[in-house]
Amino acid sequence: MKAIVDCNNFYCSCERLFKPHLETKPVVVLSNNDGCIISRSDEAKKLGVEMAGPYFMAKPLIEKNNVAVFSSNYNLYGDLSWRVMETLRMMIGKKNVEVYSVDEAFVDLSIFPKEDLPAIAKEIRETVEQWTGIKVSVGVAPTKVLSKLANRLSKKDKEKTGCVMVLDTDDKIIEALHKTEVGDIWGVGHQYAKKLKALWCIYDALQLRNVSEEFAHTHLGGVVGVRLIRELKGIPTKEMEDELVTKKMIATTRMFGSPVEDINDIKEAIATYTSRAAEKLRRQHGAAKMISVFVVTKEQNHTIDFKDRYESGTLTTSAILPVATSFTNELIKPAVELVDKLYKKGKLYKKAGVMLSGIVPDESIQGNLFLSETKNCERKLMDMIDNVNFSQRDDVLKFAASGTTRDWKMRQELRSPRYTTRWTELYELH
Amino acid sequence: MEEEFYGAAYKGSKQFTQQQVKTANATGFGAAADDYMERGVDLNEQLIINKPATFFFRMSGEAMAGAGIYPNDVLIVDRSIKATNGKVIVAAIDGELLVRRLQTSFNRLTLVAENKNFKPLEIGEFSQYSAWGVVTCVIHILDTSLQAYQSNRNHNMQRTAI
Repeated sequence: MKAIVDCNNFYCSCERLFKPHLETKPVVVLSNNDGCIISRSDEAKKLGVEMAGPYFMAKPLIEKNNVAVFSSNYNLYGDLSWRVMETLRMMIGKKNVEVYSVDEAFVDLSIFPKEDLPAIAKEIRETVEQWTGIKVSVGVAPTKVLSKLANRLSKKDKEKTGCVMVLDTDDKIIEALHKTEVGDIWGVGHQYAKKLKALWCIYDALQLRNVSEEFAHTHLGGVVGVRLIRELKGIPTKEMEDELVTKKMIATTRMFGSPVEDINDIKEAIATYTSRAAEKLRRQHGAAKMISVFVVTKEQNHTIDFKDRYESGTLTTSAILPVATSFTNELIKPAVELVDKLYKKGKLYKKAGVMLSGIVPDESIQGNLFLSETKNCERKLMDMIDNVNFSQRDDVLKFAASGTTRDWKMRQELRSPRYTTRWTELYELH
Repeated sequence: MEEEFYGAAYKGSKQFTQQQVKTANATGFGAAADDYMERGVDLNEQLIINKPATFFFRMSGEAMAGAGIYPNDVLIVDRSIKATNGKVIVAAIDGELLVRRLQTSFNRLTLVAENKNFKPLEIGEFSQYSAWGVVTCVIHILDTSLQAYQSNRNHNMQRTAI
């Protein structure tokens, strides 16, 4: 049996941990740069505040109802996410926890007897809340798809379920499938749901489960569709995955706090994003063969897509590197040169980003005997920079190309203190 | 294996291997001490029982001076420990976080300050109360040189902050 443990309105729960007066009040959290709403408490949902809606549009509703608003505080959320995952690892064992996203983890419960599962699920929920202060929902079922479905239903009626749902009998599975619309199944997209309903009158998950595998193969995307049907039938096809998946590309993109005109400001921003991306690259022991840079002017559409570069109107360009590298200095140079190519004077820019791709394992990591001495020294320098920045926070060591003033930095007007990661921002008790 | 189940063992910064333990690296005759090299003592290991459940707070005010908690002290708070009679706890009471000693008698809960100038706070039927965590330790800086070191360090970090 597998479980998915999912934090309830995660970012809002993090904000509430140090602000008990918000326990029963509506809360929302905004995206980077305070653009959109990315997390809502149950109370805010009830008021009709929309997910992913622009903040300025929801503002009248928010102000009228006294909704507490926060800029995203990723330092706090990241730390609490680690605490939730670590609690699960300590309870169930490291090997049985697969972190799926910042606020979700799959947990393999096959080490426990089936009759204990309701109690185990409840204990997971209670222990995580006791230790970390974060409320979670737990869905338990024979497969990942079914556990997701159970989790969703447990959240729908929190009073009744206590945020726990265990699908341990066929009857319970059938009931849960019947209650779930096809569009709400994990892995079924919006378009597919429409098609299923319009063409074959398949409305709920139970109906979908009863189609033949041949049908799934022809109409539901081949093997993927067949796997989905099997998962719905309770036959596991998606196994637990190793946690640290090596990424094939690494991107760092941000909105500027306010539109930027000067090429040097953009270069500083790009240099900073490159450092950040290179840091991520080194963390997974990779080296990149290609670097892409993009900028978005003020008039252009919000969405950025490296693939549909012409449609979205984003300006992007890239360079192939002579050798794959993870060294910040070797990446900053081409990145800044790419800015020269893209920049047009007289325009206002609102967003920029860097993408590293063509990622291969980094051969310089072990102190390669066949590399020149300077390469090994640079490797040591990078390790040192990463270590210092990780322990001291906030890029104490950085390349001069990243600038020192950062006029273009993100807007985060409503961010709460970073209670768990900064000595200067600890909660002050009376 | 045993340890992985429900073990609240410390999992902190001290996870290096034997090879990472520094030895004298003496080139001459000093190597005898290398046979006795072991890991140095680590404060985290002694002061933190359960890392994912441990949070740091800073004391502001004199309410707990009698318990040896002074302004600017750092409190180590463990959420996984049950708040029982007599423990110094962080309490969420009517929307506010407070540090007080918990007293329970006949289902009556009282939050007591350790300072004559503060009245005990009785938790009434209608007050919103929950125990946030238990204070396990207080870090009190004695010497001004350490104070100066800390504020200097914090200042430098602030200066470079994004």
